[in-house]
Amino acid sequence: MNYDWTLWLTFALIGVVATTLPRASFIVLGERASLPEGVLKALRYAPAAALAAIVVPDVVLVNGAVDIINPKLGAALGAVLATQLSRNPWLPFIVGMAALWLLR
Amino acid sequence: MSPSFRAGAREGFRVCLPVSVGLIPWALVTGLAMVGAGFTAVQAMGMSLIVFGATAQLGTLPLIVAGAPLWLIVVTALVVNLRFVIFSAALARPLAGAGVGLRWLCGYVLTDGVFATTLERLRREPDPDWRLGYYLAPSLWCALLWQVSTLVGVLAAGSVPRSWSLEFMASIALLVLLVPMAKLRPMLLAAVTGGTLAVLLRGMPLRLGVMVAIVAGIAAGFAAEHWQARRAGT
Repeated sequence: MNYDWTLWLTFALIGVVATTLPRASFIVLGERASLPEGVLKALRYAPAAALAAIVVPDVVLVNGAVDIINPKLGAALGAVLATQLSRNPWLPFIVGMAALWLLR
Repeated sequence: MSPSFRAGAREGFRVCLPVSVGLIPWALVTGLAMVGAGFTAVQAMGMSLIVFGATAQLGTLPLIVAGAPLWLIVVTALVVNLRFVIFSAALARPLAGAGVGLRWLCGYVLTDGVFATTLERLRREPDPDWRLGYYLAPSLWCALLWQVSTLVGVLAAGSVPRSWSLEFMASIALLVLLVPMAKLRPMLLAAVTGGTLAVLLRGMPLRLGVMVAIVAGIAAGFAAEHWQARRAGT
């Protein structure tokens, strides 16, 4: 696949607007600013909701249709199982990629 | 650099060394996944230096590959990074003594591992110079180790055939992040809601379904926490 200059625009926006700004926000603003308790509580659920919204379609959809029996889902289940059975940080990747290649 | 900055730096480096070693596999995987997504080595290292955030990088890769609209890519990255707003708020007081330029640097190098490891001590330590060293030295070390390890992954990926589908390592990485989060019931509900709705609403124009799914997931988690608290209270 080939990407044009807009890829660099994408990097800049992800890096500056979506990553450095949230990280630097209150460190730079200092103690002048604060967020309401309710907002802080709700924000805690954002990563889990977002990660699932990205990864679930990726492993259950094949060519845009739901397909429960597909190599990616098998590989994903293998990787999740590996995180439960061992603390080895490499194992989910080894199990997941091996399952993906074997099931294809 | 004052002696107390150096003393803080030494201590911060010591306590964060184990956490920093844990970054190496992540950085390698991120490097492999970026090349798997079709980036050149220069593009991959460009993303790594500009973004310096594994979750934002890995989370946006499938969207970039799928040709999703730019706004969706940026908003998705912003959502996975919202936790940093909370971390940043917690660090505001400990780092208040530093100049504005240094505080921007402290923001750029903010990572989950150093934050979690250093926060308690940062809250208690009275000397601002010591605190800055204690936070900044391990953060800069983690950034350096991250970039070097990513580069190793990027260069190694060049000798791997496309048919190995290395980009799938990004999906595995996201699952590895998600599983420990989902151990809490409300967090699990947020993830299940987000994942299910993202699949059901995939037909919405401009991939708006992903955004609706994320917002609904946050609402579901927040509501579940309320119910749990109320049940525990009665």
